[in-house]
Amino acid sequence: MVLEATMICIDNSEWMRNGDYSPSRFQAQADAINLICGAKTQSNPENTVGVLTMAGKGVRVLVTPTSDLGKILACLHGLDIGCEMNLTAGIQVAQLALKHRQNKKQKQRIIVFAGSPIKYEKKTLEAIGRKLKKNSVALDVVDFGESDDGKTEKLETLVAAVNNNDNSHIVHVSPGPNALSDVLISTPIFSGDGEGGSGFAAAAAAASAGGVSGFDFGVDPNLDPELALALRISMEEERARQEAAAKKAAEEAAKEEKGGEQASSSHDTTMSEAVNTSAVVADDKRQNLTDVEAALLEQALAMSMDGAKSSSVDMIDADMSDATAEDPELAYALKMSVQESAGDSSTHSGMSKVLEDQSFVSSVLNSLPGVDPNDPSLKDFLASLQDQSETQQKQKEDSPEKDGDK
Amino acid sequence: MASVVSSVIPRGQVDLVDFVDWSGVECLNQTTSHPLANALKQGYRDDDGLHLESDADEQLLIYVPFTQVIKLHSAVITGPEEEGPKTVKLFANKEHMGFSNVNDYPPSDSLNLSPDNLKGMPVMLKYVKFQNVRSLTIFIEDNQADGDVTKVQKIALFGTTVDTTNMKDLKKIEEH
Repeated sequence: MVLEATMICIDNSEWMRNGDYSPSRFQAQADAINLICGAKTQSNPENTVGVLTMAGKGVRVLVTPTSDLGKILACLHGLDIGCEMNLTAGIQVAQLALKHRQNKKQKQRIIVFAGSPIKYEKKTLEAIGRKLKKNSVALDVVDFGESDDGKTEKLETLVAAVNNNDNSHIVHVSPGPNALSDVLISTPIFSGDGEGGSGFAAAAAAASAGGVSGFDFGVDPNLDPELALALRISMEEERARQEAAAKKAAEEAAKEEKGGEQASSSHDTTMSEAVNTSAVVADDKRQNLTDVEAALLEQALAMSMDGAKSSSVDMIDADMSDATAEDPELAYALKMSVQESAGDSSTHSGMSKVLEDQSFVSSVLNSLPGVDPNDPSLKDFLASLQDQSETQQKQKEDSPEKDGDK
Repeated sequence: MASVVSSVIPRGQVDLVDFVDWSGVECLNQTTSHPLANALKQGYRDDDGLHLESDADEQLLIYVPFTQVIKLHSAVITGPEEEGPKTVKLFANKEHMGFSNVNDYPPSDSLNLSPDNLKGMPVMLKYVKFQNVRSLTIFIEDNQADGDVTKVQKIALFGTTVDTTNMKDLKKIEEH
């Protein structure tokens, strides 16, 4: 909010035809000047800005310091490019224009756009700098365009000579994808002497960056608080819903497993159901899981799909976290139901065949949560199962018409 | 530092520090750490540790407006022996001068300070030139040693106000 009178010195020399800043150096400069004028007048309505050109036929003041933004923007039209820039004369004329400002309470500042090479000596520039400091004029320099040897140094000495308590700055802008104005917005030239980003600068940054403003949902909470709030709430609701769905699916999977034990439906079906549910759950969860967890999950699913590997059950335990992973009763129930089925295998011949395949059985048991394949009781049971199936086979071979075993 | 001769106020004159309009006081080419207040303001100017110092070169331009019209009689300018001011030009009623136009106008008075002056001896001014002063511009052109930095310990101005109606005085008279 510093009360300031600013003179902007435009470089309209031949070097400004170059297109290494889009669309051309001169256009980039004009855009930057537009933004600066806006920022100055907005930060304090009593601020005044004036513009002069340094090249062309000679130094020419286009508009003396005024707070009328329209006048300033209008005078930027129809400027000719030509000749060489006269830096010293430009600064002196700017100083004179500031001296005759209407409101003597305003602080004096000159902003110079230096795009062409500097032909002056360092000493000359230093003397000019000291003179500016003596008259308490601050100086900002935008070093862009040509970067021949010594230009940067010369401009640095100039700013250092003027600098009094950090009121003068120099900004180097190299050609690149970023527009000149975008680079300048984040510099102290825009934000004033350590005032921090003004509201204008922040809004301009958001607009010019094309929505990539670093805000959560591409919406500036300052500009549109209601929209930002609505977006945030809907995002959280979606997340909560997905988590709930994932939990529910996991619970259902656990329930289905238990139901599968009590009923005498084939383990095959149970397994497939469990697999399907787990796949569904995994799908839901996949959206919410991190990459690491997703990889683990897929690995686990692959193993359960194959059904031929006896890997640790812990992977799938992690998935079915709601399931009774630690429940010994579950394991017991499993065994009981398997035994029952084995007992009724006479009526369910298909089942016996399934159970004959010991590898399948062991894999089924492996993939069921809460079943530790190294459990000794389980091993005994498996052994007995194998014996039984062998006995069954023998009996069947002997007398296929006879019923049952035992 | 030798005891500064406390300036004996010439008869009838008043220290004009009370009539300075502080909102308009300006000083060009001062260092931010040693501003004008150190030399002008009551209390600060008598503090030996505080002084006014020039920045980029040895010249100083001080602008002092007053709250009312005054007549200027004499001045006391003290400073260190080496870096104290030497040539001082005074301009009456010239507003917002800069270093560039300082030599365009003839000064109302031009002083050449001696080491005695720097110790506290008041300098008599051309009274006739300062009869109707609203603002005073003090231009310190160089210093005793012709160095790059000028230091001023104290600037005190003495004179009388033109408009002598002082409300307090009025009341006193009424009480008689």
